[in-house]
Amino acid sequence: MPGIGAEGSSLPSPAGSLPAPAIGWQRPLRAWLKRGWLGLLVATIMALLVLPPVWTLLQTSFSATQTDLSYGGLTLEHYRSLIQGRNLGNAALNSVTFALLATLVSLCFGGVLAWLVERTDVPMKGLAYVTTIISLGTPYILYVTAWLYLLGRAGPFNDFYRSWIDAEAMPFNVNSLGGMVLIEGFLWSPLVFLMLSATFRAANAEMEEAARMSGASIPQTVWRISMRLAWPAILALALFVFIRNLESFEVPALVGMPGRVDVLTTEIYRSIKEMPPRLGYASAYSVVMLLMVGVLLFAYGRISRHAERYASITGKGYRPRPFRLGRARWLAGCVILFNFLVVLALPLCALLWVAFMPFMRPMRWSAVKFLTTKQFDAVLSSPHYLSLGVNTLVIAVCTATIAMALTVLAGWLAARRQVAGGVIDQLVTVPLVFPGLVLGVALLELSLKSPLPLYGTTWLIMLAFTIRYMPYGMRYAYAGVLQIHPELEQAAGVAGATTGTTLRRIVVPLLWPSIASGWLFIFLICAKEMSLPLLLAGPDSQTISVAMFDLWSNGQGGEVAALGLLWAALMTLFASGFYAIMRRHAAKTFGH
Amino acid sequence: MLNVRGLTKVYANKGDGPSGGVQEASFDLQPATFFTLLGPSGCGKTTTLRCIAGLETPDAGSIRVADTTFFDSAQGVSVPMNLRRIGMVFQSYAIWPHMTVFENVAFPLRVTKGEKLTGAEIGRRVEEALERVSLQGFGGRSATRLSGGQQQRVALARAIVLRPRLLLLDEPLSNLDAALRDEMRNELRRLQQQIGITTVYVTHDQTEALEMSDQIAVMERGRIVQIGAPRDIYFRPANAFVAGFVGTTNWLDGAMGEACGPGIRQFRLGDGRSLQCILGNQQTTGGARISVRPEKVVLRRDGAPAAAAHNRLDGTVVFAGFLGTMNRYQVDIGGSTMQVYDAADAAFTVGERVALDFPVADTVALDG
Repeated sequence: MPGIGAEGSSLPSPAGSLPAPAIGWQRPLRAWLKRGWLGLLVATIMALLVLPPVWTLLQTSFSATQTDLSYGGLTLEHYRSLIQGRNLGNAALNSVTFALLATLVSLCFGGVLAWLVERTDVPMKGLAYVTTIISLGTPYILYVTAWLYLLGRAGPFNDFYRSWIDAEAMPFNVNSLGGMVLIEGFLWSPLVFLMLSATFRAANAEMEEAARMSGASIPQTVWRISMRLAWPAILALALFVFIRNLESFEVPALVGMPGRVDVLTTEIYRSIKEMPPRLGYASAYSVVMLLMVGVLLFAYGRISRHAERYASITGKGYRPRPFRLGRARWLAGCVILFNFLVVLALPLCALLWVAFMPFMRPMRWSAVKFLTTKQFDAVLSSPHYLSLGVNTLVIAVCTATIAMALTVLAGWLAARRQVAGGVIDQLVTVPLVFPGLVLGVALLELSLKSPLPLYGTTWLIMLAFTIRYMPYGMRYAYAGVLQIHPELEQAAGVAGATTGTTLRRIVVPLLWPSIASGWLFIFLICAKEMSLPLLLAGPDSQTISVAMFDLWSNGQGGEVAALGLLWAALMTLFASGFYAIMRRHAAKTFGH
Repeated sequence: MLNVRGLTKVYANKGDGPSGGVQEASFDLQPATFFTLLGPSGCGKTTTLRCIAGLETPDAGSIRVADTTFFDSAQGVSVPMNLRRIGMVFQSYAIWPHMTVFENVAFPLRVTKGEKLTGAEIGRRVEEALERVSLQGFGGRSATRLSGGQQQRVALARAIVLRPRLLLLDEPLSNLDAALRDEMRNELRRLQQQIGITTVYVTHDQTEALEMSDQIAVMERGRIVQIGAPRDIYFRPANAFVAGFVGTTNWLDGAMGEACGPGIRQFRLGDGRSLQCILGNQQTTGGARISVRPEKVVLRRDGAPAAAAHNRLDGTVVFAGFLGTMNRYQVDIGGSTMQVYDAADAAFTVGERVALDFPVADTVALDG
């Protein structure tokens, strides 16, 4: 913000008393350094955080592995075994099929729901929102276990079929590609609903009304106008969900692995967990994934920019008249109800049932007498779980704080086009190409090579989380800064404030709501994320989600459910308390 | 007091539309002048203001206030904005929403280097500034609970609390509604004269500029095209752009003729009719245009005697509109139409033959 510095003077100096101009490049360089030191500092920190994981992964994938993990020279061995083995083709094919079908499920389901809620007179709109909000706060692993029970051998569907139709058959095999697709699809449909409802809400209703006035029927209008206008947004969203599905680990690990359905992420996990771990092989796999995701993200960037251009043709914020569904209104209401059942009610019931049963058994009236709080007692009385909870909370709090502190600076530098702002903006997006598991592999290797004793510590997990969630923090900070009128900062500068004072007294207080929201977002995903700590956690640095994964692998489904429910409840309580405080604080400062 | 020499700041063209910026702007202001930069959007007036404030770094030129150099490209001097001690009111007012009115106004006193004030002194200075803008007693109010006009006053109080030598105003009235705008216009001028502060004011509203200023600089596409007192700008525009931008005018095409008196020239219209005119910037004898303000034209019945030192043209009324304070006519003078603002009681009907009289002194020849 300040212009080129007047050589260290505290007051405007008269022209005559200035030092003789320095020759050549010295003066501009010094002025540039003085203006840009903050940008250069932040850019350096970002580069140190973001680039080593990429480099380590590449290096390991090209080096021969010795038994003691020391460097053994350049080799293409890992890539050769990757190509010659049948696993890569198989896993890649499974990955793509799984991601594609799951995307289709969540897109159709969430899309129809979003359109009904936003653009028609369907009943029970509120229910759709409540369902979505609650489901977004639930740890994925908890969700997955609920569905594993529901569709599994002892679950109500198979049980019902066995009791009434064929006692020997098992019609639903959940540990299959189909089961994975279904569960992953349900997992992502709330997010699709949220994002597409924003798109439908922003669409200019006058364009639809013009089509109706020209004589088009509702289906014609929807197909030829609404869909065409929303198409770029839908495509961008589809690609985004596809990438996330490709990277996903929870569903493939919990649903696919027991049924021997392997995808890329589980292949990586398996080769790391083998004894001895095949780090080079896993790295080669990871590099393949990085490339795939990188290409897809590039395409996503292109498409979403296009979508934004389309979306800028919006109305003026008045509520458009919804389509009247007539008699189909109640049919549409059933879709809302179905969503509520599938996304919220059924999994919750299943979890409660499992948590209150001494061991997994079908949902039957006759089993009610076995109801017990044993699992809850076990979780609540165990000092082990308490320390896990504290550990997870510490990690989440620290990560969220560090990530937001960094991204506030980065976001301001980038949004205000300061020195190095562009470079910072690029660097912060780099972690987006890392699937959680791949970043885990990279940091695992980094910690093994690092002279600092990082391996297996809580620090390593915090570092990994910070790198992974910086892009999300950046989105909050960057958007927040853009909302602050630049004149508010310029007014401080003209009033006599230095850049530091302006940041401290003007930018940070005004940015506070964005900072708090970003902090909460990062805190909540750190508290439920599994794939990163699963690889990085040592015996003393376990987190809740890793413990849940271990419990599930040991067959202790009841304790997973009890622990998960308690944890989810705690997080929901925390989030709502946080929001309440934030709203009161904002009302006090901003007067609305 | 304020000396600006050869100020140049060019923005790189991003490919879509003309790029803004300012070229070779120079002006000198006496102390306590109310100086207005007037021009259409994108003419460089705001860029000039932001260069003076230090929000932009010029490419070339120099800016001095009294004996202090703020910027000089030749000497490599550039004082950061926070050390310039200038008061500025922004277009959006830029009132910080997380502070009270008092804290907003006190901010410059708290952060400016070399300004070591006790709490009591700050309180006194803030109250004094608030009194100046008739907001005494508003200090404890939250800044978000103010009307547009009050926000404007807070911004003004914040700009003058440091007792700066120079006050910069960036279209401060453009966000107010019409009635409030008139009120604030008077108040702003009164305040400026009361504290005798040199003021640079940016606007695209010619009425504001004419009413408030001591000096006006009209800008077009990054260049200052005329500097002068409001009356000079209005009645003696330096070129066609100024005449067209400041007020409404009629253009008549033709050719310059020979001299026929001190400062008076013959002007022949396209169809051979002859008028007398004074010279604006016109030095050549080739094709030219003359400008006649519509309110300078008086309509008379066909055949009424002509007045001395007036030009006369004949025509037919093609449009007549009654606006209450005046009548607005369009008169076909054979080939072109002239706009005429006449007195409210001068009633002519459409189709009537009329004579148009206008003073020679208000018939100004300008570049084609």
